[in-house]
Amino acid sequence: MHIVCCIKQVPDTAQVKIDPETNTLIRSGVESISNPYDVVATETGVRLVEKHGGKVTIISMGPPQAESALRQCLSLGAADAILLSDRAFAGADTLATSYTLARAISTIAAADPVDLVICGRQAIDGDTGQTGPGIATRLGYSHLPYVSEIVGVDIEQRTITVKRLVEGGTETVQARLPALLTVELELATTRYASLPEMVRSLRQDMRVLGAAKIGAAVERVGIKGSPTWVRDISAPPAKKGGPVFLVSGGSDSGVEDFLRTIEAKEPELLQELLSKGRA
Amino acid sequence: MREEFDVAIVGAGPAGISAACILADAGVKTIVFERGEYPGAKNMSGGVLYGHDLAQILPDYAERNCPIERNIVESRIWYLSSDAGYSLGYRDGVFAATRKHNAFTILRAKFDRWYAEQARKKGALIVPSTVVLDLLRDAKCQVAGVVTGREQGEVRARVTLLADGINSPLAARTGFRREPKPEQVALAVKEIIDLPSEVIDQRFGVSGTDGVTTEILGAVTGGMDGVAALYTNRSSISLAIGANLADFAAGKLKPYELMESFKQHPMVAPLIAGGKPREYIAHWLPEGGYDAMPALYGDGYLIAGDSAMLFNALHREGNNLAMASGRMAAETIVESLRRGDLSKKSLAGYRERLAASYVLKDMKKYRRFGRFRYQHKELFNELPRVATFAGREMLTVNGVSKKEKQRLIVRTVRKEVPLLKLLRLLWQGWRAVR
Amino acid sequence: MPKNSKGRDVAQIIPDKCIGCQLCVGQCPVGAIEMQDGVAKIDPEVCIGCGKCLDVCPVAAVLFEKPAKKRLTGVGQKPRPLDEYRGVAVFIEVRDGKGAEVSWELIGKARELAGKLSTQVQGFLLGSGIGDVAREAVYYGCDTVHAIDSPALQTYLSRTYGKNLVRLCEEVRPEILLLGATPLGRDLASVAATTLETGLTADCTGLDIDREQRLLLMTRPTFGGNIMATIYCRSHRPQMSTVRPGVMKTPKRDPERRGDIRITGFQATEGELPRIIDFVARAAEAEDIARSAVLVVAGKGACDARDLPMLRELAETLGGTIACSRPVVQAGLLPYTRQVGQTGKTVAPRMYIGVGVSGAVQHLVGMQASEKIVAINTDRYAPLVQIADYALIGDYREIVPKLIEGLKARAASSTAR
Repeated sequence: MHIVCCIKQVPDTAQVKIDPETNTLIRSGVESISNPYDVVATETGVRLVEKHGGKVTIISMGPPQAESALRQCLSLGAADAILLSDRAFAGADTLATSYTLARAISTIAAADPVDLVICGRQAIDGDTGQTGPGIATRLGYSHLPYVSEIVGVDIEQRTITVKRLVEGGTETVQARLPALLTVELELATTRYASLPEMVRSLRQDMRVLGAAKIGAAVERVGIKGSPTWVRDISAPPAKKGGPVFLVSGGSDSGVEDFLRTIEAKEPELLQELLSKGRA
Repeated sequence: MREEFDVAIVGAGPAGISAACILADAGVKTIVFERGEYPGAKNMSGGVLYGHDLAQILPDYAERNCPIERNIVESRIWYLSSDAGYSLGYRDGVFAATRKHNAFTILRAKFDRWYAEQARKKGALIVPSTVVLDLLRDAKCQVAGVVTGREQGEVRARVTLLADGINSPLAARTGFRREPKPEQVALAVKEIIDLPSEVIDQRFGVSGTDGVTTEILGAVTGGMDGVAALYTNRSSISLAIGANLADFAAGKLKPYELMESFKQHPMVAPLIAGGKPREYIAHWLPEGGYDAMPALYGDGYLIAGDSAMLFNALHREGNNLAMASGRMAAETIVESLRRGDLSKKSLAGYRERLAASYVLKDMKKYRRFGRFRYQHKELFNELPRVATFAGREMLTVNGVSKKEKQRLIVRTVRKEVPLLKLLRLLWQGWRAVR
Repeated sequence: MPKNSKGRDVAQIIPDKCIGCQLCVGQCPVGAIEMQDGVAKIDPEVCIGCGKCLDVCPVAAVLFEKPAKKRLTGVGQKPRPLDEYRGVAVFIEVRDGKGAEVSWELIGKARELAGKLSTQVQGFLLGSGIGDVAREAVYYGCDTVHAIDSPALQTYLSRTYGKNLVRLCEEVRPEILLLGATPLGRDLASVAATTLETGLTADCTGLDIDREQRLLLMTRPTFGGNIMATIYCRSHRPQMSTVRPGVMKTPKRDPERRGDIRITGFQATEGELPRIIDFVARAAEAEDIARSAVLVVAGKGACDARDLPMLRELAETLGGTIACSRPVVQAGLLPYTRQVGQTGKTVAPRMYIGVGVSGAVQHLVGMQASEKIVAINTDRYAPLVQIADYALIGDYREIVPKLIEGLKARAASSTAR
């Protein structure tokens, strides 16, 4: 099996803030991590090739710093890593990103046919979840989003069976290969790479491909290929903290004071919530 | 792991990486294990580095784009009471010109990463997110490598350098270094406060790339034996405050409470006004001094940096001692590898190098300093009080004659700090630093 | 004014004036500015000429003149005559034979947007046996409902739904298309947007109109909610957006309302489709915490199995459900589906009650958009307490039973009224 996993390096969102006074992104000192969903995607791919034979190629579209995210995923057992890096790719929204990744996968598949593409369900910075479905649509692969379990792969019949999360339940679906899956975090717990794998991933040469090498039309990548633009960025209204009620052993008033305060301040909210209550 | 190395280094901090650079330059096959996600993730220091020591390892550090925050042109020392203080500064144009980079401030997360990258470029293998749990030993019980927490995580190496800092669980497990006693360790917390670089320039009277350091003593550490510091970075201020761990345990103050009241001190607050706290980190400092140092080497291993308790509190030197010891360890290793002998006898050159250099000479000189401070809490309680009283009284113009003021001051001092006690303090203080 | 190789006016830094404060670096929406030797440098090929750097520079070190009106072409496919697109369309999601609540909410919003654009609201409906749903769509506010009714659309499959929705878009040519940000909606939206080569903005919390340029302005949280971004889709139609359930208000249902229901034929897809083998309904234990209006969240300080029934009761009294932070999942007390946080679920309930939750950043990121936050903790300085709208400091084992009692009393007295 040849499996391709798409990785994104994202800022550790817990640390990204905006300065409410100057309206600028405070990016300095923010650590970049591999998108946790994509790490699960890679782990899933590696487990499949361990079972069925084959190899995992991981790809990432990003600046040169994205290399560390690729290396982290390499250490899980992927065979090959490709960084898609080109000035032209900068400023891409999901449409341009899915185009670029789809072109890269087509290029890879031309040399070595691809059976499965695995993406994380969403990236924790953009949180859109749009890139995976976009790639599937462009490549014409069977598309299985929100996969929570891999039931099995039948190499001869060229099918994959998965469980996926849908409204109100879990669906078991079977699709023809090649297929694209977007995976949920619960699909796999990522392994703690062995030391030889760590060392191998640190030494591995990484292929870097630009727009020309993957046959990407320059007006369809990066900012040029992005229909949506950011007009403005702002800080969400700052939470400043409110009244504090002390409740100490025995005395009743703390909780009552709180209830009375919240009744006075948000009567409708309290009413609405209590009316939906099941005593 | 099947692959073997010449040298295994535990810790990618200043000691470990300095050794890795020297070893890689000499063509020695080196692997460095770092438990943090990246070098610098678990490190903290006040933030001052000395160009001299860095140049011994990377003479072209400036060309390699070393992330230097500000070049220090002025060093200040403050002696503070709870609401007032004395200040003494030394500024020298020479530090901006011919002796540039004598001292400069750094941010560890940036610096350590850059530093490790230099070692990597030279050929050392740096493995992050990997903890070393134990040492491998051979049939003769000589150290033969390390055991990491990953599968197939045993790595054979001809010699091992322990540079894993003060909190080393490895040291505890292997018995190479006793668990330091609480009085031998200080607990420090640090906050990095963002401030636009022009504001820093104005407040400290410097331009763009120059900066000021301030070491602070007195009542700011809540009566505990401790120090504080305020350093200027490019567009932030590093504030650090710490005290002896045994004092923390006995007292009621929490470290962040200490930091909060420190930030509000009338000499500190105006310098950081309007700043935005960006990062908060806590760490231990090895203050045990010369007498708390472990055996620095043995059959198949050496110890460098904080792990060897190499730290000079009085002169705020830690990073450079780590670098120097890492370098000397590496030089010793290169020699021993050539000889093909990595026994304790062969590695003795390490200690010899350290003893011949300022490293052990300074450690010896100040061996009594830690204990002196710890035993003389009046430095942090009564003395700041009377010093403030004296200053306040002398500078207040209220119609009282100077002679009367003088008498009042002497009386108050004598009451708080009896003459004998003061003399003993001065005498022991002198002995501690001479 | 300097131009780049594509003929666009670009900004330049005056190096002598630059003080290296890096404010422009952070402000540039396309990352065109880098620091070199302590001064900023703009890459002309990446610069889009938005002028933000000029706005933010404190020392006027940016050389740029904002043109009066910017016209940009060459983004993706050739520009379409935008005048040909009219109307605000809403995708009506069908669940168990009925329209999903979020679809009605979106119709309500669509009416508001259509009012500002002086245009109509169109419902796009796909499914099997959906005549009733089409009528309901009219009652909630659609002027026209375009429906495709076919047994092949009984269950959602990306390709069949995608193809038919795209067909409706190409025939009807709405200028805006809204979908609910449900698992189905988000997937379908992306498939459709990719096929139509248009812009899609997910999980919008706010929608507005720029009347002058006839643009939809979409506001959404990014970076885990630490940043709010306003996005627009300049030259492509339809401008697509998904909106989370519960963000917009449900409009009034008017059974007297009249509208047009047009049936369009189903178009089959080529090639083999995935086959659905099985469906297992989700048990109550695995309720989606992201959809609950009230969450009682157990943290490390309340990680005791014996107290779970009490916390559940508190949640139920307010019509909500329980959730937890990561340590509680790691301790094996609650399943991962109940975890709130950066690696768990992002929630924005109307009321979040944290019990023994300290508020580590990774957790805050997953719940800071909650409408009202109540913190119950012994530590007054815990990060969650610092940002809570209300905080109760004390032992939760004392506080929670009293809360339940007090709330039940109020519930009883209000029903008695």
